[in-house]
Parts: sequence; C-alpha cells; structure tokens
Amino acid sequence: MVTVRLDNVVKTFGKVVAVDHVTLTINHGEFFSFLGPSGCGKTTTLRVIAGLEWCDSGRIFFDDQEVTDLPPYKRNTGMVFQNYALWPHMTVFDNIAYGLKIRKLPKDEIRRRVKEVLELVKLSGMENRYPTQLSGGQQQRVALARALVVEPRVLLLDEPLSNLDAKLRIEMREEIKRIQKKLGITAIYVTHDQEEAMVISDRIAVLNQGKVMQVGTPQELYRRPRNLFVATFLGRYTIFRGKVSEVDPSRVVTVKAGSLIVKGMPPAPDIKVREGDEVVIIIRPHSFKLIPPAKPHNVIEGIIDWVSYIGPYFEIRVKASGVDFLLNVDPETPVRIGERIKAYVSVEETMVFPISATKDMAYMQELK
Amino acid sequence: MPRFSNLLRSVKREFDSLTTTQLIFVLFILIFFLLLPVFSILYKAFIFQGHLSIQQFEQTFSDPDMIKYPPNLQFFKLMHRYRFEVLPNGSRILVPLTTLVIGAEGPDFGYIFNSIFVSTCVMIFASIIGTIAAFIMARYNFPGKNIFRVLLFIPLLATPFVNAYVIGKVLGEGGLLNYILRHVLHAPFTVVISGLPAVILIQTLSFFPIVYMNVLSSIINIDPSLEEQAENLGAHGFKLFRTITFPLSLPGLAAGATLVFVFSMEDLGAPIGLAGAFGDGLHNKLMSFYVYTQFQQAFSLEQVSPSAYVVALIMLMIAVVAFMIIKKYVSLRQYAMLAKGGRWSPRVRRLGPLGMLAVYAFMIPLVIISCFPQIGVVVLALTNWATSGAIPTSFTLEYMRALVTKPDVVTAIRNSVTYAGLAILITIILGTSAAYIVIRRKIPGRDIIDVMTTIPIVIPGIIVAVGYLIFFGSVFFKTFMDPFINPGALLVFTYTVRRSPFLTRSVVAGLQQTHVSLEEAAMNLGASRVKTFFSIVIPLISANVIGGAILSFVYMMNEVSTSLLLGAHNPAQGPITFLMSQVIYSTGTVGAVSIAAALGVLLMVLQITAISLSNYILKQRVAFLGV
Repeated sequence: MVTVRLDNVVKTFGKVVAVDHVTLTINHGEFFSFLGPSGCGKTTTLRVIAGLEWCDSGRIFFDDQEVTDLPPYKRNTGMVFQNYALWPHMTVFDNIAYGLKIRKLPKDEIRRRVKEVLELVKLSGMENRYPTQLSGGQQQRVALARALVVEPRVLLLDEPLSNLDAKLRIEMREEIKRIQKKLGITAIYVTHDQEEAMVISDRIAVLNQGKVMQVGTPQELYRRPRNLFVATFLGRYTIFRGKVSEVDPSRVVTVKAGSLIVKGMPPAPDIKVREGDEVVIIIRPHSFKLIPPAKPHNVIEGIIDWVSYIGPYFEIRVKASGVDFLLNVDPETPVRIGERIKAYVSVEETMVFPISATKDMAYMQELK
Repeated sequence: MPRFSNLLRSVKREFDSLTTTQLIFVLFILIFFLLLPVFSILYKAFIFQGHLSIQQFEQTFSDPDMIKYPPNLQFFKLMHRYRFEVLPNGSRILVPLTTLVIGAEGPDFGYIFNSIFVSTCVMIFASIIGTIAAFIMARYNFPGKNIFRVLLFIPLLATPFVNAYVIGKVLGEGGLLNYILRHVLHAPFTVVISGLPAVILIQTLSFFPIVYMNVLSSIINIDPSLEEQAENLGAHGFKLFRTITFPLSLPGLAAGATLVFVFSMEDLGAPIGLAGAFGDGLHNKLMSFYVYTQFQQAFSLEQVSPSAYVVALIMLMIAVVAFMIIKKYVSLRQYAMLAKGGRWSPRVRRLGPLGMLAVYAFMIPLVIISCFPQIGVVVLALTNWATSGAIPTSFTLEYMRALVTKPDVVTAIRNSVTYAGLAILITIILGTSAAYIVIRRKIPGRDIIDVMTTIPIVIPGIIVAVGYLIFFGSVFFKTFMDPFINPGALLVFTYTVRRSPFLTRSVVAGLQQTHVSLEEAAMNLGASRVKTFFSIVIPLISANVIGGAILSFVYMMNEVSTSLLLGAHNPAQGPITFLMSQVIYSTGTVGAVSIAAALGVLLMVLQITAISLSNYILKQRVAFLGV
C-alpha cells in the first residue's frame, strides 16, 4: 500500500502537451480513476507513473520515495494493459510466473503464488493454456493475475475493459473492484467511460487536454462540477447561454436568456459570478420534476418536441422560450409529441457557470 | 542550466546497458565497414598529388574513352559474305549470306554514358514489361496463372556470368538463334547481337521481375473501393487504369524502376559473361567493368588510374540519388492503402477468349525468353553444350561431380560458405540491434542508423569493394586487414554490410507487428531491458530473424562485385562467384564454362531452397527487395 503523489508533472510529445502541470495525490488503498476524452493525457499520465514514459519536468513520489528517474523495472508497479499484452509464446502459468522468476523466488513458492492468484481471478486449472486459447474475459483475468502476483505497490489499469463486450465489462469491473478492496491495494484506473469510472472509483480526476479539470468523488463531480467541462463531460444535460441580471447574497443568480428568466446557483462556492456576466446554464435531465418541489424553483412550460423510451424512463425534449430542454420523466407518465408540458427544476439544481475565457467560448462552439 | 541537466537526465535514462551495447556495435560496424571506406573514395577522387584538386575530374571528362564526342551511333551494320553450304547430294556450293551485326561497333558513348544509356534503356524496357505483367497478374484470371506466377520469379535466380554467357552463346555467329534461322527457317541471313544491345537485352530479362513485383504489390495493396468508386462514377477499362489504378501503383513502379537502374549500372555479370562468349568488345565498355578491371589488376593502389576513383564516385552519386528517390516513393506508397477497412475482395476478372489470347500472346513468349538463361545454365551444366556448337549433343554429370572433386572448385565453395557463415552471425547481431534501436528506442539520430542500414541495397558492390581497397589497403597496409594480402577477412564484412538489409528489414517488420506493450509488461514486472530483450523480444521475432538470415545468407553466397574485386588479390581465398568469373572470362581450360554452370546450378538450388524455407517460416511471400 502506497500513496502516489504527482508534483507538477509535464510530458510533451513534440508540440503536443500530453500532461500539463498535473499535481495530484492518490491515497493508499484508494481506487482512483483518470477520466477524460481520448487524447486528454490520461493514459500518458498512467505511463509516466509506471515509468514507461519519462516526464519532461515535475516529480513523482511513491510514499516518500521519489521515483521520477527510476526505470520501470525498479518501480514495482503492476500494470494491466489495454490489449492485455500477454506473451503469446508463454503459457498462462509462465505469463503469471514471469515477474516472480525475475524476483528469483524459489520454485515451489512461485507455484504456490500462481495457484493462489489464479484462484483469486477464478481461473484455476488454466495454467497450461496459451493466451490464444482463452476468451477475451479470461485473457483479462490472466493480465490482472500477472500484475497482482508480484504484490506491486500500485496497481495500474489502462482501459482494461475496453476490449470486452458490454455485459462482461460490467461483470469484470465489479470483479476488479472486489479484488482491489480485498487486497487493499492502491489502484489507478484509466477510462474514457464515465459510467465505468463512476461505478468503480473512490475518487476520479477528470482530465482535458493534459490538465486536471477536477478531482473528487463521483457524487461531487456529478452534483458539484467546478467547471463547464466537467459538467458537460459527465451525464446528459440541457444547456443554454444567458446574461446575469441579479446576484443576491445567498448566491442565487438571476439569468436572462432571451425571453426566458431563470434563477440558478453556481454549483461550487468558489465559482464567482457577477452582474452582467455571460453565463451558461446547465440542468441535468433528472432534475426536472412534474410536481412543483417545496424548494425554490423555476418553471418551464413548452411543447414536447421529441420522445424516446429509454427503459427506466422517457427522455423527452421540450421547446420552451427558444431553448431545447432535455427532461427525464417517469415511464408511467403519458407523453406525446406536440403536447404542452409544465416542468419544475429547483434553483439549486440549475447550475450557473461563468464563461469568460476565450477557451470556454471555443468549447461552447464545440458543444453546439 | 536546467536544459542541459534535463538532456543529461534523458541521456542517462535512454542509454541502458542493452541500448548502449547495441548502439556501439551497430555504429562500429557501419562506420568502420561502410562509411569510412565509402568516404575514402571521395577523398581519393578529390586529392591529386597531396592537394585538393579537381584535376582528376578534368582528366577523366576529357578522355575520349570516358566520354566519346561525337558518339558513335552506328547501331547495326549489314555484312555481305559468301559461305559454303553442303547440299544433300554431298556437293558444296557457295551461297551469298547477309549478316545483320547489331551492337558490335556502336552505339558507343564512352564508358560513362554507355553505362547511363544501358541503365536507362533497361529501366524503360523493364518498367514496360514489368508493369504490363503485374497488371495482368493482379487483375485477370486465366488458366495456367499459377504456372506463370512461378515462372516470373525464375529470372530472379542469380546465376552470375553464366546466364549472360548463355545468351551470348545463343546470339553469336554460330549460336542457337542463327542455327534456327539457317537450318530450320532456311533464312538467307543471320543475326549477331553483341555490344550494348546485348547487355540491355540480358539485363532487361533478368531485372524486369523487380519492377513486376514492386508494381504487383502496389496494385494488390490498392483499396478496391477506390476503383469501385471510380467505376461507380462511370470510369472503366483503360480510362479506369489510366486515371486510378496506374497513378496509385506509381510508387511501386518508381521504386522498382530506380532499383533496376542501379542494379543495371553496377552489374558485372552481363559484361563479363558476354566477354566470355564474344571476347572483349563494346559490351564491357561500361563504368562497372572499367572500375573492376582497374582494381582487379592492380597490385597496389598506386597502379590504379585516377580516373577509376572519379568513375567510382559518379556511380556512388547516382546510387545515393536513387536511394533518395526510392525513400520518397516507398513512403508515398502508403497513400494507396490509406482507406484500409473491411475485408478486401480482390478485383480479379475472368477473361474472354480474345483477352485470353492477348494475355497468352504476351506472357508465353515473355516467360520462355526470360527463363531461357536459367534453363540454359542447367543445360550447360549437364551436357556438352559448351563445346558442341549451337545445340548440345550428349548428357554428362562430369561437371556436377567437379563440385565435389575439383580442388579449386571445392576450395571456392568452402570459402563462400565460411565467409557467408561468419558474415551471417555478425549480420544477425547487427540487424536485430539496428532494427530494435530504430523501431523501439527514442535515440536522437536513429533515422541516420535507419538510412545507413538500408542504403547498402543501392550502393554498388564495386563501390564498397573500391572503398575497402582504398581504406583498408592504406590504413591497414601489410596487416591482417590488408585486402591486397588477406581479402577473405574483409569479404566477411562486405557480405555483412551489403546483405544485412534483408535481415534488418525482416526484423523491422517483425517488431512492427509485435505490440510494444508486450515488452512494457515485462519491464513493469521487473525485467531489465536486457532481460526483456532476450526473454520477450527475441522469442517473438525469431521467425523474422531466421527468415531474414536465410535470405541474407543466400544473397551472400551469390554476391558478385566485392567477391570479384577483393578475391582477385588472393585467388586462394576467392569465393564461388570469383571462380565463376575467372573461368568464364579467361575461358582457359576446356569444360571450364560448364563447371561455372554447375556452380550456377548449385547457387540456383540454394536460392530456391532458401526462398521456399523463408516463405514457410515467415508465412508470407518475402518481398525480394522491400527497401
């Protein structure tokens, strides 16, 4: 068990800044994820921790030991690669025993530990198979076993489930979490799948263009995103722009967007909004209720434009005052295209983000 | 100084013990046995009596033997003679006979432009024939296609000198062609082809398959949807070929044509073989032959005419330009494969009767004529053809037996096997190290290593040999490494440098197909780079190493130019090809040519075995010259 600390880590590939001054602490025994779109630098960050890429500047610590300049084979991390990287010329046993042989353990101990770890990943009896004779899920378990058997200080997982089908993916992510908690090992997980990250992680770092956008528990990220990127990357949403007309002392902001006037709040206390600011309103689809809540709220009234049946709920689009609203409604509710609907959303759940930087403007363009 | 300390840190990280060892080994071999010798030609060409000077260039260019002005453009002439014919009743009558003599007196542009003329013609003819053959083989189905596929490879089987001798024997005064003309067709004239046209003919026949294979692989790699889209928009037939297929296969054609140009320029087989059949003549008034004779006859560097260095430098420059062209076009080749996706169904069409007739009318004469030299070599080795005149009259195994009984032949075979054997060991280390550094390590300047391990494919062997004679002959004067005393030791290294590209390219392909995460996984589990290299990398690429090594070995066995130039200085250490050139060129003893042919058969058998073996091991068709 170990605490991993990144201090101002920078990694560039030519002109592309893959990791941009990342500072993070991953606590021991924690299941920590890097989440972000492809190309955001999450895999590179993981590889820098493993020592497979050298960072240009910054420092990396495992507990108090600095590992920045240690080659990968001296860091004692256990990595599970996206493509599993099982050696095709070795059996399952030899693949798993490889790290133990490197550590020059006695033969019978190697045999014992391989047997134990195979039990842990539920692959007992597969010792003599070759990787090509295994299914994708089994190969995944072998890769996990191979990383775990050396008792690494940190377990590193690079999108380990992306090559599995949807059902197996759900099964395996629970399996990985179970094993990690059982062993109490620090685990760092890279994924672009927000649902996977939410389910499996204790804490998540959302990355974009090499920068850490926010670190927090899944609930914090979802309910109190600190910026537009995190708010729009996680989950679905209604989005529209407006201008602040009033800010009251309890941080409730009145926003005018065309003919629509709504009250909202910045989701985190350190987000500052002033009168006259250009802002963006983000509302999660499940924040809308068809019965007025007791808390202060906004009222939306408009025509149903689109209905899709998701299963547990209907997802509907409502056009109101020139804004396209996305709502989830109970599947028992009768909704039909063209009908009028009235919905309520609490002020607290009407999230307000300032857009000042040109970067945010560009990002807004992308979202459109 | 943070920048400097960062550099120091990154150097410390990248240069682990494996990388350092590999890098030092690769650089040592390449610098010592390739760069320094080749650059010493530059030195020799520009230094005259101890001073930097271009006097040697002036001398060379004003020599009418080098550049003939005005050139002799008499391509052919008619000779009217009378000769006795024996009538069926036994009486002899005098009949008029007209002989068409092609190439004996012209064209002649002097050594330098003769070479350029020949290489240009060969390049053009080989490109036309090769492209047509490739298009037919890639796009049409017809009975016997697989037989043609095999036959089109046969001209690539190298039988140095003997194949040219065979052609000479066919085209000569009393050769097979005239035998057919007179006794079968009863034509009132005969034809003799020698000189540059004969060289062009022989080289076109042996080199067109290089264009064929490069264009074929280009066409096969074209995404069919590109052509389908064009058809969808209304293009078909020749229009489709001209606007889509041909432009997309141009990179293959450019690479193949350039290789043919260089191979033609450096070829010694045709001039020496033809000299064996006709005696000296315009067919050996070529740059390669000039350099060869200058250095072969010299006992020391002082006896070599300064012009030889200048000519060698010209050949080197042409080769370097050719390499740059190939590099450019081979990377261009990728554009044809950009849209890779989905399963490709090859666009092969069945032919109608007229089309089939046209295909056969082209393919059948082509394979018969182009395979003839190889067939002729076998006939020469197994019969008395060398002495019987136009057609062989009796079968014999005497010459094949000589391979194991005749002392000088046995010595030559043993020499070749020894040199190639030692060279292949060095090549394996050199090739795997260079490939690993180029593909896997992020070392500044690795592109240079990449170029240096590939460029020997186009550098004429004569240039390498001349470089060795200059560099080792002066720096290691009268030592073990002096090529004038002990050429065998240096042949090991010329073989290594010239033929390692086959192995290096094969290993590069292997590494590209092996995901780097397999190595990272090992290092992640605690294996050092050395341990990773030997326990993971080597087992994974072993097929590529072995396949490449077999190919390299065979091409070492039939290496011509350095074997001849270096071997000449100590015949007891001469390899197979040296002995072959000696017996062909001097044609001293009776039956000597047939023994050379027997050696040619031995080389062919080796090549066929090696190519099939390495195809089997690599489980894919080896591109003969995947530069």
